[in-house]
Amino acid sequence: MFGFGKKKAKEPKKQITEEVVITAKRKEELLRTISFKKEEANQAVGEEQAKIYEEIGLAFNELGEEDHAIDSLEKSIQAKKSLGNGYKTLLRLYNKKRAEAAKENDEESLQIYLKKMDQMMQVSKEVTRGVR
Amino acid sequence: MGVVNFIIENILTQASVTIALIAMLGLILQKKSTGQVISGSLKTMLGFMVLSAGSTIIVGSLTYFGQIFTEGFHMQGIIPSIEAINGQAMNELGLGRDIALTFLAIFVFNIIIARFTRWKYIFLTGQAILWMATMTTVFGYFAGLRGIVLILVGGFIGGVFAVAMPAIAQPFVRKITGMDDIALGHFCTIGYVFEAGVAKLVGEKGEKKKSVEDLKLPAQLEFLQDTYLSLMVVMIPLYIITAAFAGKEFASTLSGDTNYLMFAFIQSIQFVVGVYVLLAGVRLLLGEIVPAFRGIAMRLVPNAKPALDCPVLFPYSPNAVIVGFITTTIGSVIAMFVLPVFGLAMILPGMLTAFFAGGTAGIFGNLTGGRRGAIIGGIVHGFFITLLPALLVTTFNSMGFVNATATDVDTVSAALLYAWLIGPLLKAF
Repeated sequence: MFGFGKKKAKEPKKQITEEVVITAKRKEELLRTISFKKEEANQAVGEEQAKIYEEIGLAFNELGEEDHAIDSLEKSIQAKKSLGNGYKTLLRLYNKKRAEAAKENDEESLQIYLKKMDQMMQVSKEVTRGVR
Repeated sequence: MGVVNFIIENILTQASVTIALIAMLGLILQKKSTGQVISGSLKTMLGFMVLSAGSTIIVGSLTYFGQIFTEGFHMQGIIPSIEAINGQAMNELGLGRDIALTFLAIFVFNIIIARFTRWKYIFLTGQAILWMATMTTVFGYFAGLRGIVLILVGGFIGGVFAVAMPAIAQPFVRKITGMDDIALGHFCTIGYVFEAGVAKLVGEKGEKKKSVEDLKLPAQLEFLQDTYLSLMVVMIPLYIITAAFAGKEFASTLSGDTNYLMFAFIQSIQFVVGVYVLLAGVRLLLGEIVPAFRGIAMRLVPNAKPALDCPVLFPYSPNAVIVGFITTTIGSVIAMFVLPVFGLAMILPGMLTAFFAGGTAGIFGNLTGGRRGAIIGGIVHGFFITLLPALLVTTFNSMGFVNATATDVDTVSAALLYAWLIGPLLKAF
């Protein structure tokens, strides 16, 4: 009735997307983008810097380098709060880290990621309400 | 024996002390250091006392507002504020200890249900659980439940809601976010699903369905930037207009030497001050308990889906939030005028509920019924979330609550469950 049946059908699909292997060419392209954008990010400020860090973070995420992705996406939100793909990816990565911490019984990391997820809710509230 | 009696009669009757002792027990069970146990317990006690102080300020302002409204409009004007209900229940009605214990019981039942059933949702919005605990305790008490039964029944019903609401919303959340890892934990879900249903019925279908996200709308709601500022924007005109209708002669009897309109202005700000203080108390009160419980819940149910507060959906459909806020406000204003015609109290519109509940409902409406669904569904949603709290007013009045009613519709539905089902059943047997 509530569509729980769909959940089971979804899970294998999710695993498939996680296991997607990017081609060598794409990988090279992403790495080039990252190194190029990193230099740009150092010179930019405010909204522009946030955008560049978001692109870097999304590229790292595609490469499967989650910790680097989180680092860049956090820098993006620090430079300028926004609710684009960077935000959504960061929340998803936090939640993944939270789930890993819960499985490993790592209370400290668990609390860190729960708190970070709370902060993401605050960011969403503030951006929607137009707080600068 | 004298010592035991002293403890029972003088210490455990103080709700603030009992609540601090509960927090202390929780902290000791988590093997925290002595320093953390002491500071955590004291902060919890401070939180409760601050909350009570906020409630006293709110009650003072609401009592005044109730008098001028009745004089001015010859009917009861109710301010929807779950904070005011919580404060009065914990403080003036002396249900603080029961609400705190029910709050813990809801967490425990949530963990049990998530651990042993396939509905793996852990509700992470601590404040919403406190509002739910308030409503189940108040209405359980009204239905005649006392002591441990009051707490266990409230904990069970609250725990079921904490799992069922994210579960009901999840098929929609999955479509909105495109993933199944995160759930929605906000006790306005019945309203969201209601709007989704209405939008599906009346909205655009198939290829004709156009999303509000394709429209160009002002990106931000700047007048809502600050919670307290937006409360003031509503309360100041509400109080001043009401005082004007009550008339100088009557209103001056309440305002003493101060000009009656100036007095109304100051009282409207007092209401906001009360909410500010009360919520500061809630933050202190929950600051120690909630992180600990969330940690325990997540470790006991490692494959749980965290149910997060409603802003989790805002990034996926920002235009729908604005449309939802505006249409829900329109629906609430319509209900404000229509409900008294049917003998119900006049429920004044609440800007914050319209924003958070209305905005999120807008996302649901847009999903199932496109632009037309979001607009018509939003207006009906506004009416719906004003109608339900209006049904509680008589009970609140008879229990001695001053001029306020609850807001979040899931907590209102839990209350109606007590009023319409559990209460009559208890009386029958």
